[in-house]
Amino acid sequence: MSLLQIVCRRLLLAILVIFGVLVVTFIISRLIPGDPARLMAGEHASQQTVQHMRHVLGLDKPLPEQFAVYLGKLAHGDLGISIRTERPVSEDIRRFFPATIELSLAALLFAVVAGLPLGVVAAVSKDSWLDQALRTVSVLGISIPAFWLGLLLLDLFYNVLGILPGTGRLDEGINAPPVVTGMFTVDALLAGQWRTLHSALVHIALPALTLGFVNLGIIMRQIRSAMIEVLQEDYIRTARAGGLSSARIIVGHALRNAMIPSVTMLGLLFGDLLYGAVLTETIFAWPGMGNYVIQSISFLDFPSIMGFAMVASLVYVLLNLAVDLSYMMLDPQIREIG
Amino acid sequence: MIGKPTEPDTLDPHVAQSNNSLTVTCKTYETLVKFAVVDGHATANVAPGLAQSWAVDPSGKIWDFTLAKGHRFSDGRFVDAAAVKFSFDRLLEIAKGPNEDYPAIAATEVRDPYTVRFTLTYPFAPFLASLASCAGDVIDPAVMSHAVDNDFAQGYLSTHSMGSGPYQVAHMERGQQIVLEPNPYFFGPAPRIKRVVIKIIKEAAVRRLELEKGDLDLIEEVSPDQVDVLRKKPGIVVVDEPCFRQDYLFLNTNKAPLDNALLRQALSYAVDYQGIIDGVLLGKGKQMRGFIPEGFWGHDDHVLQYHYDPQRARALLVQAGAQHLKLSYLYAKADPTWESVGLVLQQNLADIGVTLDLREYAYSTMRDMVDRGEFDIAIGNYTPDFADPSQYLNYWVDSRLFGLAGNRAFYKNAAVDDLIRRAISLSDVAERTRLYQKAQQIAVEAAPYILLSQKNYEVAMRSNVHGYIYNPLLLQVFDFEDMWKTP
Repeated sequence: MSLLQIVCRRLLLAILVIFGVLVVTFIISRLIPGDPARLMAGEHASQQTVQHMRHVLGLDKPLPEQFAVYLGKLAHGDLGISIRTERPVSEDIRRFFPATIELSLAALLFAVVAGLPLGVVAAVSKDSWLDQALRTVSVLGISIPAFWLGLLLLDLFYNVLGILPGTGRLDEGINAPPVVTGMFTVDALLAGQWRTLHSALVHIALPALTLGFVNLGIIMRQIRSAMIEVLQEDYIRTARAGGLSSARIIVGHALRNAMIPSVTMLGLLFGDLLYGAVLTETIFAWPGMGNYVIQSISFLDFPSIMGFAMVASLVYVLLNLAVDLSYMMLDPQIREIG
Repeated sequence: MIGKPTEPDTLDPHVAQSNNSLTVTCKTYETLVKFAVVDGHATANVAPGLAQSWAVDPSGKIWDFTLAKGHRFSDGRFVDAAAVKFSFDRLLEIAKGPNEDYPAIAATEVRDPYTVRFTLTYPFAPFLASLASCAGDVIDPAVMSHAVDNDFAQGYLSTHSMGSGPYQVAHMERGQQIVLEPNPYFFGPAPRIKRVVIKIIKEAAVRRLELEKGDLDLIEEVSPDQVDVLRKKPGIVVVDEPCFRQDYLFLNTNKAPLDNALLRQALSYAVDYQGIIDGVLLGKGKQMRGFIPEGFWGHDDHVLQYHYDPQRARALLVQAGAQHLKLSYLYAKADPTWESVGLVLQQNLADIGVTLDLREYAYSTMRDMVDRGEFDIAIGNYTPDFADPSQYLNYWVDSRLFGLAGNRAFYKNAAVDDLIRRAISLSDVAERTRLYQKAQQIAVEAAPYILLSQKNYEVAMRSNVHGYIYNPLLLQVFDFEDMWKTP
């Protein structure tokens, strides 16, 4: 099967997966006790007002009809109007999702850039004091709660040292760059707005460090154990006997093979980062999807919940596809199996 | 720079339900009347706002308001009677909750460009006071050019303003900040603060850090444990005042076993009120006496106040014939103190031999269960919209409003219904007070609610911020136009 055929087949399956997610989310969200009309109508609302709200929101229609209406609108690219904010859900997602993607990518970048070499160093110096120290860092990364680490970093870099800003995405007085991706760092770069880029970078530093530190630990452990295994393989011994330099053996031969299991993990980690960013977003007042979704759930804002579920499942499906494709590039055998 | 924990869901005053939106709507719109400030203190009396005078006919059903000339919306248009009519028609047509403050309006009519008439279906005593509520904000009719699919421009106004208040929304960066700038056509003196930035920072510790650092000038929702710490910090002033926000427990009088008044009284005597105030609220509150809080007109200093008396509670329990009683306590994490209150209550009730099962639900689910009466004991809090005792009595004990709408204890008493319904239709304040106090006396003795505490309201600000006037009726509202900063 050709690469194109594989991609097409997977994309078709993705549509089915997303439809399944929408059905399940729709049913579950309607099964939760609670009436969004009552929530929105507020403390004093009479039954008459609540009934009116229910009618306006279309909640007085039978469930299958509500779902059919939703799908009909979706087919035209309309995700509906948020019950809570009165704004189009697609507009809300366009605004909040890029912020979360940007933060997650920055966190992953930090985790990979720092975690990969540290994992290799730990594996190469296995059981030495350096290995022990790095393993301690890795355990700390996995076990430190994000909210605690975030507050600690904020206190140190913002309050005590005063070298990084506190909260938000940009300094007061700096306008957001023209929207291309919605990620301020990327958009500022594309627009050549260097002051904005600087502001965006210093603002993302602490949240990315906080969110990335957990994954740094995971990546270090994964790379370390994979490298230790690979370094014991016969072909590595052969390479050593052949007189290749350690650096060339490690980078050119061992790391490439050790990377294969890590790719799956990176894909999953990115997925986790996207939806595990809530605490970090809360601490750093980062306007991402985390807080938006939590608010939507607590208000039973069905259109927002459905919109989020759809986008989230789409991201997961695409991530899995990207992981599988990168497998194929790293290991030709997998491509042949298809 | 203001630090706020939660972003307002919408900036449309005819849709917004929570006090959280008032920070913006109260400063970007004006109402026909407003709460008077006397000698630097906010009062519950009404003073002219957009209306310079008003008159009511003897039936109490026809109100004429004469508008002051010269008030202008932020686009330069004049505020006239047509704008007032448009606003109230919009409010009642949208009918999304804030309309509940005006249950009696039958029609709004333009008598001349600067006179507007309200015709009520019945004499509604709190009508004038209710017009000071932000639900009565007057909106520029030109907003209809932004309407989409007959939404009365709700989508547009969720992030913009079109009012005649001292400020207008310059822009709103969702999830991050709302920026206010002066309305160039504002009727009053131009505000000294030319730019107000309301930053959304959910984490209390971070808000505090930014205030200490000087990046924020004022922060909302300072937790009780932070109040004392911040008070000791140089350069920071903490406002810590009693407000009309109350915590109370609903006892479900509609189903056994709490349909027994003796049992409800037993529970009312079993609660360690001061223990909850000291231990959970860290002293930032006061036990309630009656439904109407202290400082609110109609408050009764002599109405029965239950106190912590376990012995009396046990005796009442025996009298009620209750044995091996098991009850449930419904709460959510919406308020961080509700779980702690439940734990104290569990211990208090265990002391008199009652087992209390704590049941936590998501807030939306909890509210639904309260609405349907699926609980024994539930907790909630309450803040009035305007200064009138009807805000308490006509909601809490009117048998027409069972459930979340107001009567959350499902309490029914024909004499109380009669008293409060008569009271809301009279204009004689002394007679209204008498009727409300009588109704309150009957209801408090029947103990449908356990009246826990009247809370304090806390705001912390930098000491170079001046001109803040606290109004217990307008929590989360800051009169930026009267405030200023020194270097």
